Amino acid sequence: MKIVVCLKQVPETNDVTIDPVTHNLDRRGLAGVMNPFDKNAIELALNLKDSRDDVQVVLLTMGPDDYAESLREGMAMGADEGVLLSDRAFAGADTLATGYVLAQAVKKIGDADLILFGRQAVDADTGQVGPIVAEFLHQPQITYAANLRLSGANEVTAERLLEDTKQTLVAQLPAVVSVRSELNTPRYPTPRNIQLSFNKPLTTWHHDDLDLDDSRLGQAGSPTIVTKVYAPEPVKRALTPLTGTPNEAASQLITALKQRQLI
Amino acid sequence: MSKPELWVIAERRLDHIEPTTQQLITKAKGLAGDQFSVVAILLEATNDHLENELTAYGPDEIRVVRDDRFPTATDAEHADALQQLVTAYQPNSILFGATITGRSIAPRLQAKLQTGLTADCLDLRFDDDTLVATKPSYGDNIMCEIICPDHRPQMATVRPNTFVAAPATGDATVTTATVTFHPVDRLQVKAATPVVNTATTVGDASRVVALGRGAASSATIDSATKLAEKLGGRIGVSRPLTDQDRFTHDDQIGQSGNTIHPELIINFGISGAVQYLVGMQDSQTIVAVNADENAPIFDVADYGYVGDAQAFMTALLAQFN
Ligand SMILES: Cc1cc2nc3c(=O)[nH]c(=O)nc-3n(C[C@H](O)[C@H](O)[C@H](O)COP(=O)(O)OP(=O)(O)OC[C@H]3O[C@@H](n4cnc5c(N)ncnc54)[C@H](O)[C@@H]3O)c2cc1C
Ligand SMILES: Nc1ncnc2c1ncn2[C@@H]1O[C@H](COP(=O)(O)O)[C@@H](O)[C@H]1O
Repeated sequence: MKIVVCLKQVPETNDVTIDPVTHNLDRRGLAGVMNPFDKNAIELALNLKDSRDDVQVVLLTMGPDDYAESLREGMAMGADEGVLLSDRAFAGADTLATGYVLAQAVKKIGDADLILFGRQAVDADTGQVGPIVAEFLHQPQITYAANLRLSGANEVTAERLLEDTKQTLVAQLPAVVSVRSELNTPRYPTPRNIQLSFNKPLTTWHHDDLDLDDSRLGQAGSPTIVTKVYAPEPVKRALTPLTGTPNEAASQLITALKQRQLI
Repeated sequence: MSKPELWVIAERRLDHIEPTTQQLITKAKGLAGDQFSVVAILLEATNDHLENELTAYGPDEIRVVRDDRFPTATDAEHADALQQLVTAYQPNSILFGATITGRSIAPRLQAKLQTGLTADCLDLRFDDDTLVATKPSYGDNIMCEIICPDHRPQMATVRPNTFVAAPATGDATVTTATVTFHPVDRLQVKAATPVVNTATTVGDASRVVALGRGAASSATIDSATKLAEKLGGRIGVSRPLTDQDRFTHDDQIGQSGNTIHPELIINFGISGAVQYLVGMQDSQTIVAVNADENAPIFDVADYGYVGDAQAFMTALLAQFN
């Protein structure tokens, strides 16, 4: 069986700042790392691979050439190959345009039984790309899977935790699944696997390698526009200090809470 | 000519309406003014009457579609039904709660409609008939304003508890609409069981005792449990404490946990990282206890004590007795 895992590379830290002059995000000097939630999706794929002989795990990412580093890292965890979708025409894509290109690439990879996604990318925080790809591929989707197992030759059973309901879902493959981070603990690459990863195939596909409708790519294919970026200002409050010994301070608090009719 | 429609997609949670739906109706009414008509869209079973939980919030219309398959319908089946309604009524904008359900159905519908969807919004306004959605990114460190100028409908999911639901007068007309249910055979919901969760969640509690890494010993957690009981509230935690056996992700306050605005929150041993603060800074009364006088939590607090969390909690408990 063939499993495609979609992954994204994100800035190493979320501590980004706004350039006071251009009002753009200042990402200078921020190294890229694999989106941490996508490691859970890779781990799930590798678990399935460990349990059967015939599983092939393909990593897929759309982004600039340095996203190849995350593909290498995933191959060092144990995935078999990586595909990078890199082209100027893909730049500036929102979730819809990203989902379109990923869906076209999954078609080109061919015969994917499972297409896995992380719960969300930690920079954009949307979690939309998985369901969009599922729709474009006309496949069933299981989002936020808390666990997943193969329950038949061509079938997976998964649990999905809604806010206060647990659903058990059974999907016939092929299917799209996005995973919760609680699902597993991603493995670290072993020195041997790191070594092996350098001999695994990493393919780059450009615009002309895929069957694409140009009006659906990049900025032109993205319905949404970011009009403003700013740093949120926490609303400061006037602090009344509670002072003295813990007993004195506690009694001041009790008086205050009574005044506010909270106790 | 009738006004363009602003939709709120009602969400079912077991046998009830998920509270975000009501919050969104209140917000939508505020946004609509004379410009839009606020329509709640409800997909329910033939014998359900969940519209009764919406009328008090005063949408202009509650449009009900009934089919016994809706309560256990999959995301794709929901999205398909909604797409048919969109085609029939051409709304200007569609709002979903950014719950797991909303975040799963909305992007699927977005892909069908090939329009824009802004996720997990913290604020909404209209600029003429363009929806301006404020969305956090980079772990809530950055806010973005996002618009979808050339495509309709405009779509957004909105973080639960961002807005406060307010009962409103007005006579919501309840209408029915029909769609063709297209079953997706390749995915079945085999079982749906309530997660055992007898107490109210931290999101519903009006009093919260919040514990962070500086208040993580089991003795402190025991005292905090008693304090929460005395206050008639619940314990909530910062992210590091979700690693402890006694807490889960559901107890977490913050950007990747619950957004809450209780009447009272007492924070013990919590530094006040932005990702935590966004989840609770709209609480009515905020108390902070922290050993470090420079902890950012004090910037958003009404009352603050610089000192040991356990010592203060013990003193507070003693004085309650
Ligand atoms: C994408 C992303 C999402 C995140 N989402 C969330 C989220 O939803 N919720 C969340 O909470 N965090 C979240 N975080 C993590 C967040 O950035 C902080 O790391 C976290 O909130 C810190 O928790 P804390 O305040 O308990 O611990 P710390 O920052 O370690 O603070 C402990 C505090 O306790 C004080 N202290 C120590 N000993 C004592 C004592 N004896 N008495 C009193 N005070 C004492 C210290 O002075 C310190 O201020 C997220 C991070 C990222 C990157
Ligand atoms: N550029 C991309 N290339 C490949 N996969 C992606 C990309 N962006 C997002 N994803 C996948 O979609 C998931 C959700 O991302 P997002 O919708 O951006 O929060 C991520 O966890 C990845 O699995």
